[in-house]
Amino acid sequence: MTNAGHRITDAHECSQLNELKIDMTGLNMLSGWTTNGDTIMVEQMPIFGGYTGGLEETAISDVATTLASFALFSGNFHLDGPIHIRWNVTTAKETLQVAAHAAAAIDANTDLLLANQYYPAGGPCTEMCLLETANQAITDTGSGRELLSGSAAAKGVVKDKTTGMEARIMGEAAIAAAGMKVSELNGIILKLLSKYESGFVKPPEGKTFQECYDVKTVKPTAEYLAVYDGAVQVLRDAGLPIKH
Amino acid sequence: MPRSLNVFDSFDRFSVGKKVREDTWDYVTIPKNALAMKEKYDISFGPEVIPEDDDLSDRLFKAGLEMLAISGFYNPNLGKALSVTEDEILAGVENAPRKVKLGRGRERVSCKPRRGNSRRKPIIQGGPTGAPVSEGIFPQMMESYAQERVVDTLVSGVLNTVSGRPSTTNTPWEIQATLAEIKYVREACDRAGRRGMGI
Repeated sequence: MTNAGHRITDAHECSQLNELKIDMTGLNMLSGWTTNGDTIMVEQMPIFGGYTGGLEETAISDVATTLASFALFSGNFHLDGPIHIRWNVTTAKETLQVAAHAAAAIDANTDLLLANQYYPAGGPCTEMCLLETANQAITDTGSGRELLSGSAAAKGVVKDKTTGMEARIMGEAAIAAAGMKVSELNGIILKLLSKYESGFVKPPEGKTFQECYDVKTVKPTAEYLAVYDGAVQVLRDAGLPIKH
Repeated sequence: MPRSLNVFDSFDRFSVGKKVREDTWDYVTIPKNALAMKEKYDISFGPEVIPEDDDLSDRLFKAGLEMLAISGFYNPNLGKALSVTEDEILAGVENAPRKVKLGRGRERVSCKPRRGNSRRKPIIQGGPTGAPVSEGIFPQMMESYAQERVVDTLVSGVLNTVSGRPSTTNTPWEIQATLAEIKYVREACDRAGRRGMGI
């Protein structure tokens, strides 16, 4: 097998456990990568509604676990991902608030490199999935994060229900949001939440990669491009100057 | 300021740490300490998603720092919690890298602090983020991310099978699947004309 294995310019990923825990598997992997001088991304997804309980407590725990990635585990950057215990998404208002408050707090007091990951409820080829992804990208960009990682559409649990189109809107929304006033972004975020929050009860399942793309040419279908255009128009109407 | 800890120091701290039952950690230590920090630092969020109150951000940072210092960290295999001081945590923060380079050649990107909502966009890492993917379409799916101009680096999905065998956790097939994922991701970069992308 050629080209197997990571290079020094790739990143290894190790997960903490919820909350403020790490097991021996994690420590042993970290020890090898640290000795090799590899790039290490330490992940932790605090659970809103879990052991910590409420909104502010979860954000406090998020700050603590982020600091631990660097102070205890030799991480180069931290991958966050506050997750909602009921909806299993990162795109709900509460999980966006936890992520944004934790990032802003750490950004204001350190030079640590902060990332976030994406678990929207909607499946590919749905407006809800694209709006959720864009809204988190606006939130992460506005709160000072350095890297956005996604997107695991359909909550990241359904086989083949992820595509490059979700990454396109994540990137374009981030580009549009970068440099805008936070007060403006907050207005846009609330407008977008009102467009999709009610969908968490029964999110649209969307389509598989094979249904969203021509698998031979790896080109998105006309249907998905039309859904994408519709979502972009909603974002523009909400006040985000995203590229059309 | 004391020296910062590395992962080996952390293991040594776990080894001599205080014995704690895991359910006590989960249901007593964590919620009790988080609530105490919320009250001590008067942390209360308003309706906005991104905070606009700098003082709140500073208090939240102090609360998180103290949360880690008073709780320590738990290792369920050892059944022990390590201890770390605020000064040691801050030393680790001070020694953390301020820049990470990902990828090679013309695909190399540099991840460095943005400081607030800078006009400089974040690094965009595209991919299924650990979602399950069929073996038959894995390279094509990864190519769909690599071909996006806004995508700087890739994050892999999880191969559902490898050579038709389930990539079950803690089996040799899991290792085979992980290496196959990397091979397929590199193939996807080549097909998109972006050899050298960081993964």
